[in-house]
Amino acid sequence: MTLGNRLRARLISASLLAIFLWCAPMAPALALEEEELRIATAYKLMTLDPHYANLNENTSLLSHIFERLVYQDENLALKPGLATSWRPLSDTRWEFKLQDNVRFHDGSAFDADDVVYSIERIRDFLKSPSGGFRSYVSGIKSVFVPDPLTIVIETDSAVPNLPLFFSSIFVMNRPSDGFETTEDLNAGQAPNGTGPYRFESWRSGEELELVRNADYWGGKPAWQRVSFRVIENPAARVAALSTGEIDVADAIPARDVASLKERGVRIASVGAARINFVQFDVDRETLPGVTDKSGQPISNPFKDPLVRRALALSIDRGILVDKILAGFGTAASQVFPNGLPGTSAKLLPEVPDYEQGKALLAKAGYPDGFSLVLAGPAGRYPGDAESLQAIAQSWARIGVKAQPSASPFSVFNTKRAAGDYGIWYGGSSGEAVDIILHSLLASPDPERGTGALNFGKYRNETFDRLLASAEGIAVGPERNAALAEATELAMADQPIIPLYHFHHIVGYGPRVGSYVMHPRGWTTAMQTLVAAE
Amino acid sequence: MGMISAVLGRLSQAFLLLVAMSVIGFIGIHSVGNPVFNVVNIETATPEDIRGATIALGLDQPIWHQYVVFVDNVVRGNFGTSYIYHLPAFELLMSKLPATLELASIAMLIAAPLGTALGLVAGRRIGTLFDRTLLQASVSALSIPSFWLAMMLILVGALLTGWFPSGGRGTTAHLLGQDWSFLTANGLWHLVLPAMALAIPNIALIARLSRSGTIEVESLDFTRFCRAKGLSSRRILFRHTLPNISVPIVTIIGLQFGGMLAFAVVVESIFSWPGVGKLLIDSIQLLDRPVVMATLTFVAVAFVLLNALVDLFYAVLDPRVRLSS
Repeated sequence: MTLGNRLRARLISASLLAIFLWCAPMAPALALEEEELRIATAYKLMTLDPHYANLNENTSLLSHIFERLVYQDENLALKPGLATSWRPLSDTRWEFKLQDNVRFHDGSAFDADDVVYSIERIRDFLKSPSGGFRSYVSGIKSVFVPDPLTIVIETDSAVPNLPLFFSSIFVMNRPSDGFETTEDLNAGQAPNGTGPYRFESWRSGEELELVRNADYWGGKPAWQRVSFRVIENPAARVAALSTGEIDVADAIPARDVASLKERGVRIASVGAARINFVQFDVDRETLPGVTDKSGQPISNPFKDPLVRRALALSIDRGILVDKILAGFGTAASQVFPNGLPGTSAKLLPEVPDYEQGKALLAKAGYPDGFSLVLAGPAGRYPGDAESLQAIAQSWARIGVKAQPSASPFSVFNTKRAAGDYGIWYGGSSGEAVDIILHSLLASPDPERGTGALNFGKYRNETFDRLLASAEGIAVGPERNAALAEATELAMADQPIIPLYHFHHIVGYGPRVGSYVMHPRGWTTAMQTLVAAE
Repeated sequence: MGMISAVLGRLSQAFLLLVAMSVIGFIGIHSVGNPVFNVVNIETATPEDIRGATIALGLDQPIWHQYVVFVDNVVRGNFGTSYIYHLPAFELLMSKLPATLELASIAMLIAAPLGTALGLVAGRRIGTLFDRTLLQASVSALSIPSFWLAMMLILVGALLTGWFPSGGRGTTAHLLGQDWSFLTANGLWHLVLPAMALAIPNIALIARLSRSGTIEVESLDFTRFCRAKGLSSRRILFRHTLPNISVPIVTIIGLQFGGMLAFAVVVESIFSWPGVGKLLIDSIQLLDRPVVMATLTFVAVAFVLLNALVDLFYAVLDPRVRLSS
C-alpha cells in the first residue's frame, strides 16, 4: 500500500514534469501565416451594422468591409471613393458619378440603387437608439438615378457639404426586398460590402477576422488575413505589442512610447482633427461651485469677456502638451490644428501672461479673484484629468481658486446635462472646421440644428451670421477664408478656451513596413504596408 | 419532510436575495449616470438624436416604471437588449461564460489539491523549514494585490522570457456549441499565466486552512489511537486527518470558485481574457444596464447553486450531517 502510494505520487509528478517539458518548446504554437496582419485595437466592435452608431468604436473596423462614396485624405481634402467624381448641378442638386466594375463580396454588382438603399435605410428605416448618421441625409429631398452609374441628389436647401457627408456613409447592398435589420446583421448574416477585406467571423467586443477580397476593384489588398483583437487595457496592448504577439496597436499611452522604441517598436502619430477645451456657462445668473473666496455665491463672472480672457491668458499650454501629453499633442488656438482647411493663420497658441491676466481680472471687478469648481471627464481623452490639475495650478497664480473635479465620462455628461457645472473641460470632433463651429460655438437653435455642443449657451449674432454665410459657400478657398474669419471673430470673445489637439499614437512591429496616420483616428489595415523582405 | 422544508427555505432565501440584488443593482446603475451618452456619439449627435435614443431605450420613464418593465421582461425570460452591442443581454453573457468557466475551473483544479497537500504536509511538520517557508510564502501571496501579481506574471512570463503569451484566449476549439481554449495546445498555453494569477492566492488560502486544520486534528485523541493501533502515518493523514479537515476547505473552495466566476475582473482585464468579470466591469462603465442586470442575476444564482452544492458535499464528507438529516 505504502509502496503503491509512493510510486503513484512519483508517477504523477513525473508525468506533470513531462507535460511541462513537452509544452515548453511549443510556445510559438501557431506557425504564423505569412501574410497575416494582427492588430490590437481599443475600439470595441459593437455591431456589424455600419449604420447603427456614428462612433469610431464601430466605424473604424467596419471600414474594411464597407466603403463610402467619398474619402478624406490625410489633410482632410476630399478624394474619390466609390464615386469617381461629383459636381453641383445647381444650388440644391448634386450629381455623383460612380465607379464601374465594383462588386460586392457576394458577387453582385454595385450600382446607384445600392446608394439609394443606403440613404433610405438611414433616413427612413433605422429607428433609435441607432443614430448619428441621420443628420447627414436629413437634408436630402429626393434621389434620382438617371443611369446605373449616376446618382442625382436634390436637397431642401443648399448643402455645399453634401460630398463631405458622404465620406461618413457606408454603402450597403440592396437585398431582394425590404431592409436588413441590425439584428439580422449581428446574427451572422455576413455583412456584404465592397471593401478590400471580407468578413469572416467576429465576437462582439472581442475580435474580428477578415480575409482579403481578391476581386477588390482598387487593386490587390496588402494582407491575406487581418485579425483584430479588442484590448481595452492600454498596458495590455503595449505588452502584446512588445512581445510581438501583434503587429499594430493603437491608442498607445504617450508615457509608454520611449520604452516601446527601445524594444524596436516604431511609432506613428498625427494631430487629431479635434479639440479639447474649457467651456464656460455664460447663460445663468449664478453658477454651482462659483463663489467668492469666502464661499459666498457671486453672480456668474463668465458673462464678462474680460474674465474669460483673463482665464485664457493664464493657462500654460506648454505644460499640458510637453509634460502631460509627453509631446504627443499640439497647443490649440482654434478648433482644428493650424494648417488644416478652414483654420486661421492669424490665431496662434498663446504663451501665458499672468500679469495681464491678473490685471484683466481686476479690471473686471475681481481683484482678489474668486473660487470655482472645474469639472471634467476622467479617462475619456488623453490627459483629461491631469489637465484639470495643471489648469487649477495656473489659475492659482492670478488668484482664481479652482477645485478640479473629474468623473467618469457618463457621470460627467449626466451631471453637465443636469446643470451641475459652471465651467468644464470638454472635447469635440468633426469632419471639418465648420461642423465643429456649427455645433460648438453657434447659438443653440434646435430648429436649425446649431449649437448642439454649445452647452454654455454662448450667443453671438455676428458670428452666427458669418458662419451661416460661410456655410453657404461652395467648398474651396473662399469658404475656408470665410470660416477662418468667423473663427477669429468668435475667439476674440473667448467663448471657450482652446487647450490642445492630442495626437493619435500607433505602434507597429517589424512585419509592418509603414503606417500612414489619419487625423480621423481610425485604425485600419489599409493604412499599413507589408514590410519589404 | 425535513428535506423538503429545507429546500423550500433555501429557495425562498434565494428568491429574496434575487429581488434585493435586482433592486440595488437597478437603482445603483440608474443613479450613476445616463447610458444614452455612451450609445450616441455626444460629440456629433444632435439633441434630436439624444432625445430619440432616450425614448427608444425607455429611459424617459420614471425609474419605478422602468423597473416594473424590467421585472416583467425577466419573468418572460428576457433580460433585454444590450444598449451598447445591440445583442440580447443574456446571450451576450452566455457567450462570455465558457472563457470564465474554463479559467476558473483550471485555476481551482490547480489550487485545491496543491493547497490542501501543502497544508497537510506543513501541518504534520510544524516548525520545520518547510512549514516556515510555506507560512511566509502564503502570507506574501495573500497580501500582494492581484493586479500586481498579474503584471509581474506578464513581465516575467511574457516580456522578459517570452515563454507565454501576454494575453488573449489564443486558438479555440468548438465543443457543445461553445468555443473553448483548453482544447487546443495554443489555447492551453494562453491559459497558463491567467490561471496562475488566479490560482496563487487560492493555493495560499487553502494551504493555510488545511495546515491549521491538520495541526488541530493531529492533536486530537483519535489520531493518537490510530497511531497506537499501528497505522502508518500516511494512512492516518489521508484516511483520517484529511476527511476531518475537509469541511472548511470545501466551503472556501465553493466561495472562491463563485468569486472567480464573477469577479476575476482584474485578472481578466489585464490578460484581456474575455470573460464574465470583464463583461461586468465594462458594462458598468458603459452603464449597459441590461447586461449588468443579467450578469448580476447570473452571479447570484451561481452563488446559491454553489452553496447548495457545498452543503451536499458536507453530507458526503461528514457522516454526522448525513445522519442528522
